[in-house]
Amino acid sequence: MARPVEAEADGRAPAALEIRDLRVTFNTSTGSVPAVRGVDLVIRPGETLALLGESGSGKSVTARAIMGLHDRGNVEVEMEHATVGGRDLLAMSAEERRLLRGSAMTMVFQDALSALNPVLTVGDQIGELFRVHRGASRREARERALELLELVGIPAAKDRVRDYPHQFSGGMRQRILIAMAVALEPALLIADEPTTALDVTVQAQILRLIDRLRQELGTAVLLITHDLGVAAEVADRIAVMYAGRIVETSPVDDLYDRPAHPYTEALLAAIPDLERPSSELLAIPGTPPRPGAVGRGCAFAPRCSRSTAVCTERLPLLTPVPGHPGRTAACHHTEEVLHAAVS
Amino acid sequence: MPPSAEPVLAAVDLHKTYGNRLLGRGGGVHAVAGVSLTLNAGETLGIVGESGCGKSTLARMLVGLERPDSGQVTFHGEPFASGRGAIPRGVRRRVQMVFQDPLTSLNPRMTVLDIVAEPLDVHNLATGRGARRARVGELLELVGLAPELMNRFPHEFSGGQRQRIGIARALATDPEVVVCDEPVSALDMSVQAQVVNLLADLQRTLGVALVFIAHDLAVVRHVSHRVGVMYLGRMAELGPAAEVYGAPAHPYTTALMSAAPIPRPQARHRERIMLAGDPPSPVNPPSGCRFRTRCHKAQDLCAERAPELTGPGAHLAACHFSVPAA
Repeated sequence: MARPVEAEADGRAPAALEIRDLRVTFNTSTGSVPAVRGVDLVIRPGETLALLGESGSGKSVTARAIMGLHDRGNVEVEMEHATVGGRDLLAMSAEERRLLRGSAMTMVFQDALSALNPVLTVGDQIGELFRVHRGASRREARERALELLELVGIPAAKDRVRDYPHQFSGGMRQRILIAMAVALEPALLIADEPTTALDVTVQAQILRLIDRLRQELGTAVLLITHDLGVAAEVADRIAVMYAGRIVETSPVDDLYDRPAHPYTEALLAAIPDLERPSSELLAIPGTPPRPGAVGRGCAFAPRCSRSTAVCTERLPLLTPVPGHPGRTAACHHTEEVLHAAVS
Repeated sequence: MPPSAEPVLAAVDLHKTYGNRLLGRGGGVHAVAGVSLTLNAGETLGIVGESGCGKSTLARMLVGLERPDSGQVTFHGEPFASGRGAIPRGVRRRVQMVFQDPLTSLNPRMTVLDIVAEPLDVHNLATGRGARRARVGELLELVGLAPELMNRFPHEFSGGQRQRIGIARALATDPEVVVCDEPVSALDMSVQAQVVNLLADLQRTLGVALVFIAHDLAVVRHVSHRVGVMYLGRMAELGPAAEVYGAPAHPYTTALMSAAPIPRPQARHRERIMLAGDPPSPVNPPSGCRFRTRCHKAQDLCAERAPELTGPGAHLAACHFSVPAA
């Protein structure tokens, strides 16, 4: 196993996740498609970072690349730097990374039914984690499985530990998946649209559960979502993705109060607020670009109300927002956007 | 055109059960169990509810794509969609539908011209190729698409554009009623607002009455004059949008609204009612009030007797302990 890196110079524990310059390219018969084009992510222990984006923005591809799930031959994954809980992923063998999956970093998928094995009881599936990663006996594994089902709020867990996935409702299945994800107390939990398939009343339960476990276990959470409402409910920080790049990162309050990127600004104006109905939504013209079909300038420029000549010419880099510690934005007109939010 | 009080479409006590009740085990799925509503000319009636509440089945019965087991749908007071006979052409023409998934509801082998013109052909509304093309061009313009695109195929369009094509097709026959079943939920969030605004504009300019079915509470509030909240095949609450959202009378409506995520971090610490568990199965719904198994107000009475949908004025709720309107 790779040795844990010493605590960082400033005395803080190492980041739960640190990724520098992640690039993912799909090689298809019609050419190569750069789905993720240089993404940096840092998540502190116990922090929830929401990676927000629309379909095709590269948010799920990013999550799968971090987990190391792009194992098909036609996908190229490059990273400059990648550590999970201080351990260097790039210095590891494939086998070492495999052992890390499920223990140090885990993933909760959108569709719980297809993520669970239909022919194993939920008790056996959860127990398997302890048998494989911890060498537990059959009996210990079963006991730990029961504890976990109770932890995630499955009613009458004792009777249900021998049930199969199809005997549970959608919300309960998602709880089981979460139980498996936190079983070995990972440094990082990646939740890829964990509530998108669920009803709104069940969604609220699941979001609350993830947040409670984060607090109790100190796990860092990378929440992949397309929903500005969900991100506002649970995230500490938000990274907004568009066309394969992060265009803005910010603490959650600042992002919604004073967006620094025109895309975030436009999104917030385009969605209705349940408690503050308005007469007109400000729609964003056009559609998100297809991955790979972006020019050399800013990918959002064709839809942006603030774009000028420089936007189509030069790619704006993700840089710190002056006067706003902890915020970054990739826009030539960030100042303008920030001012608009105040006035 | 402001909504008038003249009902165009009315449903009376609709019931629909799926599944074979003779051979199936434990009976069929009671998708819709006694829903009545009226739709007035030029208004938007929003229907919200979670999956399995019967909102899509209701939509299909309202346009005659599905026959109710009992109850009837009337168009200007004339019943249709009950019994065995075909639905009169005149009604079909006047009541149209927009589907959720624009890709599967558009024939991939037909050009946009043929897709949008098909209702014109069926109802003999355009004579001659020139008139047909002209009318399709007009409809595409109405929904914000360039008429030059009419010779292309559905796959050449984005999701939002495809939904516009579906809307153009629904408008081709000059309908009085368009039933939209989750028209924006398959779309990206940056595109949803375009389609929502389009539907609102069309209603203002054409005066068409809309039934807008969705699970997104905020979108429904945004577009609707009146809102119905469904739970397990029944209408839990029905009333003017501002009243249903501002002062919900049914505990389910209250819970649904407090569960909806709000895109403002400051709202995070609001008081919320968390419902326990999942909605029960519509195969074997609870006796009496169907919401009682998850309701914090439930008492013995709720298990014995199903509450009627009643209330003061236009704001109705089906609850024995509903909050009286202020």
